[in-house]
Amino acid sequence: MTEQAVRSGPGWGLLGGIAFTFFALGVTVNVLVLERVGSEAKTIVAAIVVNSATSELAYLAVRDAGGSVVAAVIAGLVVASRFGLLAASLGSRLEVGRTQRVLAGLQAFDPNVGVAMQQASPREVRRAFWMVTAALHAGWWPGTFVGVFLGNVIGDAQRWGLDVVFPALLLAIIGNALRQRQGMVAAVVGGALCALLVPIAPAGVPIIVSVVGAVVAVRIRPVAVAS
Amino acid sequence: MTWTVIAVLAGGVALQRLAGMFVGGAVLARVPTLATLASLIPAAVVGAVVVQLSITTGRSLVVDERLIGMAVAGVLVWRKAPMVVTIVAAAATTAVVRAVFGL
Repeated sequence: MTEQAVRSGPGWGLLGGIAFTFFALGVTVNVLVLERVGSEAKTIVAAIVVNSATSELAYLAVRDAGGSVVAAVIAGLVVASRFGLLAASLGSRLEVGRTQRVLAGLQAFDPNVGVAMQQASPREVRRAFWMVTAALHAGWWPGTFVGVFLGNVIGDAQRWGLDVVFPALLLAIIGNALRQRQGMVAAVVGGALCALLVPIAPAGVPIIVSVVGAVVAVRIRPVAVAS
Repeated sequence: MTWTVIAVLAGGVALQRLAGMFVGGAVLARVPTLATLASLIPAAVVGAVVVQLSITTGRSLVVDERLIGMAVAGVLVWRKAPMVVTIVAAAATTAVVRAVFGL
């Protein structure tokens, strides 16, 4: 991903797209959480302290399917292991002091790490990471409150196509990586493994196993497949 | 979702992030091949998350209007369209297809 590093850093279009996406995500996820939890306070606190919509969704998905609380918590934590991997990627490129490393580690998400890893210099990595982090929270917090207090006004979030906002954002984030052979192979193998495993493996496992895509890609000669 | 569950989820997620940052990052900085591997992990994991969110429901593979919206997103990403345009076009396409077919 570093071969064709983006030198200009995140522009306003990218930051706006991320803020908009996390607003939509905040609304969508928290409408779902409130529906099942039935408490505005719990929904808001969970959104802020868990700091992982995927974990909340995995927990609720297992509970919906009739799973125990313990199984649901495990699923919620297993899907979050991708944040550990993302934090490790970021940690290898982030040259800052201990306090900032703690704060950055706790904020490791797909978009901010994805954008930061595409920067060339340590200074740009740090700057891009915090700019995208600010943008995603600028969307997530208002989205959470709108979802909790105005959810019934908006109605069914799916009617507006909001359920594809998150995958579309993720695809856009890895766009530069996809134009290089290694990145494309990693994404395709990761995606294919996920599709194969979803019907047979416990929730969360397909996402973890997709790391194998990166292992396969690392053996391939880094060549751009398109400009 | 009890307060205990919220606390356990919050603690467990934070712990994994910090372990990645402090243990994982240090190892990666010392081994260049691992650093290359780490730079490819976001693409692999995001590829999987995209698949999960666009063609699965629970534990079933489901092809529906989401895939059409994501196909539009894929073309726009490849053509380097601005991110906002990509996201809005994907959501709008999905919403329109859903409305037309009454799903």
